[in-house]
Amino acid sequence: MKLKVVSKILDANERIAQENRKIFDDKKIFVINLMSSPGAGKTSLLEQTIKGLKDFAKIGVIEGDITGTDDAIRIDALNVPVVQINTGGGCHLDASMIQETLMELPIDDINLLFIENVGNLVCPAEFYLGEDIKAMVLSITEGHDKPLKYPMMFQQSKAVVINKIDLAPYLDVDMEKIRRDILSLNPTVAKFEISCKTGQGINQWTEWIKTNCLCRKH
Amino acid sequence: MHEASIALSLLEKVIEECINNGCSIIKSVKIEIGRASGVMPDALSFVFNAIKADTIASSASLYINEKMLTAMCNKCHKEFSTEENYIFECPHCNSNSFNILSGKELNIIELEVE
Ligand SMILES: Nc1nc2c(ncn2[C@@H]2O[C@H](COP(=O)(O)OP(=O)(O)O)[C@@H](O)[C@H]2O)c(=O)[nH]1
Ligand SMILES: [Mg+2]
Ligand SMILES: [Zn+2]
Repeated sequence: MKLKVVSKILDANERIAQENRKIFDDKKIFVINLMSSPGAGKTSLLEQTIKGLKDFAKIGVIEGDITGTDDAIRIDALNVPVVQINTGGGCHLDASMIQETLMELPIDDINLLFIENVGNLVCPAEFYLGEDIKAMVLSITEGHDKPLKYPMMFQQSKAVVINKIDLAPYLDVDMEKIRRDILSLNPTVAKFEISCKTGQGINQWTEWIKTNCLCRKH
Repeated sequence: MHEASIALSLLEKVIEECINNGCSIIKSVKIEIGRASGVMPDALSFVFNAIKADTIASSASLYINEKMLTAMCNKCHKEFSTEENYIFECPHCNSNSFNILSGKELNIIELEVE
């Protein structure tokens, strides 16, 4: 017997993500899913962002890593509620991991939740977690060919943070090409050029969060 | 490799569909995967065939229909497609405004069950 099915392969994940979404909306939590390749600077960006927004938002963080708790320890040091998820080899977070973790966060006391996804430029884009927006970090040490090699990540992100610009003088990286390719893939994306090391550009990023994320759910 | 978890979702989904329809063996699975879905068909097949053993899908063949990335221009209203996994602009009039028609699929189309 032939069965016409026509359904999404990732149906199950999608359903749980929608449940997460409902929780976030009910609790008025704005959620940012932060993606990048390993070492691009997600945790560094979170540290800077928390410092910049501490007086304006009640921040919470979910840290996703294949293994280890180093990132959660770095966030914990800033006195922000944080939960670590270890995927045990898995290359991305999925919606059910987030749902299980939510119980461990004081969600009544959070209005801005960052989810640091597992470092990876391919998979995280496939798995909706229930977030309001995806944001990605691209460090210029990764080279200027990355936007075209991983178009999906750039197309799905509302914001792209180009990090490590303090290193530009030491690299043969074509910044103009990075800017151009990102905008071609995603003409409406918010683009930031920052250094988590020197703090350059962080202010524009945190201001953008204030106006585009914090006001949205009140 | 996220094809692993996608293959697992696929396997769970087709087994559920089969059982819900009162059947107990899956003979074939037909799916469609868009060029711009971020999923590599070969990797997906490989994992699916590895994990189907010891399930009611153990002898199921997986057929993958690859979908090209196609779009319709909002300015000149022509349809176009590409071998790439992204589109910058309409090749006819260079407009940046277009609607993706296909290429993002990650769908199950048909099962053959007994
Ligand atoms: N020079 C420089 N190094 C940075 C910058 N941001 C992060 N790093 C370094 O890059 C490495 C990886 O950063 P981390 O935040 O852990 O990346 P993650 O894996 O994406 O979370 C660390 O050694 C950081 O100190 C930056 O703006 N400039
Ligand atoms: Mg990190
Ligand atoms: Zn056109």
